[in-house]
Amino acid sequence: MSSAPVRRALPAFFSWSAFFTLSAFLYFLYHVHAVLIPFVLSFALAYLVNPVINEFESRGFRREHVVLALYLLIASGIVISANILLPAMAAELDMLQGRAQLYYSGIEKTFGVLQHDLAQKIPFGRVLMDRLSLKMYNPLMEQLPKLPSYILGLFPLLSLLFLVPFITFFMLMDAEAFLNKAVQACPGRHVEQALHIISAVDTSLGNYLRGIMLTAAAIGTASYIGLWTLGVDYALGVATLSGISSFVPYLGAILGALVGGLVAFFQFHTFAAPLKVILLFAGIRLADEALLQPIISKHSMHLHPLVFLLSLMLGGKIFGFIGLLFAVPTACVLKALMNVVWDYYLSHVPSARATPDGVDVPYI
Amino acid sequence: MKRLDRLKAFFVDKQFVRKRDFLRSLSLFSGLSNRELGSLLQMFHSRVYQEGEIVFQEGDIGRALFVVESGKVALTRRTQDGKDRAVAELGPGSFFGEMALLEQLPRSAAAVAKEKSALLLLYRSKLDEILRQHPHIGVSIMMHLAQLLSARLRRANQSVPAAIAAESAEQTPA
Repeated sequence: MSSAPVRRALPAFFSWSAFFTLSAFLYFLYHVHAVLIPFVLSFALAYLVNPVINEFESRGFRREHVVLALYLLIASGIVISANILLPAMAAELDMLQGRAQLYYSGIEKTFGVLQHDLAQKIPFGRVLMDRLSLKMYNPLMEQLPKLPSYILGLFPLLSLLFLVPFITFFMLMDAEAFLNKAVQACPGRHVEQALHIISAVDTSLGNYLRGIMLTAAAIGTASYIGLWTLGVDYALGVATLSGISSFVPYLGAILGALVGGLVAFFQFHTFAAPLKVILLFAGIRLADEALLQPIISKHSMHLHPLVFLLSLMLGGKIFGFIGLLFAVPTACVLKALMNVVWDYYLSHVPSARATPDGVDVPYI
Repeated sequence: MKRLDRLKAFFVDKQFVRKRDFLRSLSLFSGLSNRELGSLLQMFHSRVYQEGEIVFQEGDIGRALFVVESGKVALTRRTQDGKDRAVAELGPGSFFGEMALLEQLPRSAAAVAKEKSALLLLYRSKLDEILRQHPHIGVSIMMHLAQLLSARLRRANQSVPAAIAAESAEQTPA
């Protein structure tokens, strides 16, 4: 007796009305994405903090007490570290403000000597250096004195530092109750499938976010130690920039090498110093790939490098920097959803299911 | 001592402790410590089903194990003539749909709440998470599932020859 594969239409949640509603919702999100940035960042932060709260909750403690205690602890930590880090950051900014002109004249002098030497020693050297000056050197030199004001221009983003913890607090307190209400409102028969999708997305997203947080912290710390050992100025600032930008895959090491290399070049006026910085960040990147990533990717969703690249390009193109931050987690969520659909297909097509070995051996 | 108890009562979530004690009473989760049961409880979702509400239907893909916390759930199977035949009626402390933790295949029976019932749901994806993060809990659950499967298969092995013998005795002319 042959068993014909069971053919089924798309599952209930793939109806056209659901598709159009989802499209309209995504279109709406695209238009209001700027407003949603603090909420999205808070959601990510809540995801990261939640395991700590869960750990205490599993011992029987009330959630609201644990959240309050954690916030008090974090606030104390911020106050203590602000007393140490803020003066150091302010000193670095002051130093940058004061030395910018000095760097500018130093670099101008170095390039002048280089230009003169090249013009004398290489045939057509003068023509080559004139072109190079026009294309790269002059615009760079024009921007250099403005560097401190660019950095100060990032300060309005600090408002997020207050807004995000505030929103996160309410997410940590009420998200579970909200999910329970949504589950209760869902028609009984679809609860199992709906929660299955949420469960799959939750696992994939949570693992990715915790992994990327670990990477950012490790890259930031390693950069600071490395730059401090090399004696590069603004080690804390460059390491912070490198750590934060690590939330966009690969960007942390690239930005760290670029900014750290420039600082080293301006500081020491040699090519050996930036080369050491570039080697340092290459080493950090390799160590991340060899030591951290195997641990992180073991528990998080694997994305093909092309999908990874495409998601970053699309995220950056549609939503800018925030799109770069959330491109990979979004791709992970989409992959989790596709896996759910694939599992659904497999469970309905008997021929696609693997039969375990030994099934014909009698039970003894 | 009273003050300590009062302080403990202030910090401890009574509902959580009640649910944790409930899980401890189930054979599937026996042998787990307080901490392990606490971690396990966080992996569960809960939902209240009203009387007559369908939990799942025969043929739906099984995704979760259901534990009856309170109320009553009826399991029914559709016969060839299209009528629903009651297979079992489960009360507090019973669990069903456990095969979904092993393989996600169409359910072989339907489940309907006979009265207002609170159910706890454990998903396969959450069980995978438990196996990774708390292997001892995961292995304990898998062990109990394997024992349950073995017991069912043994019973089926014993009942099938008896059923065949009874059928052949009926067919044999007197």
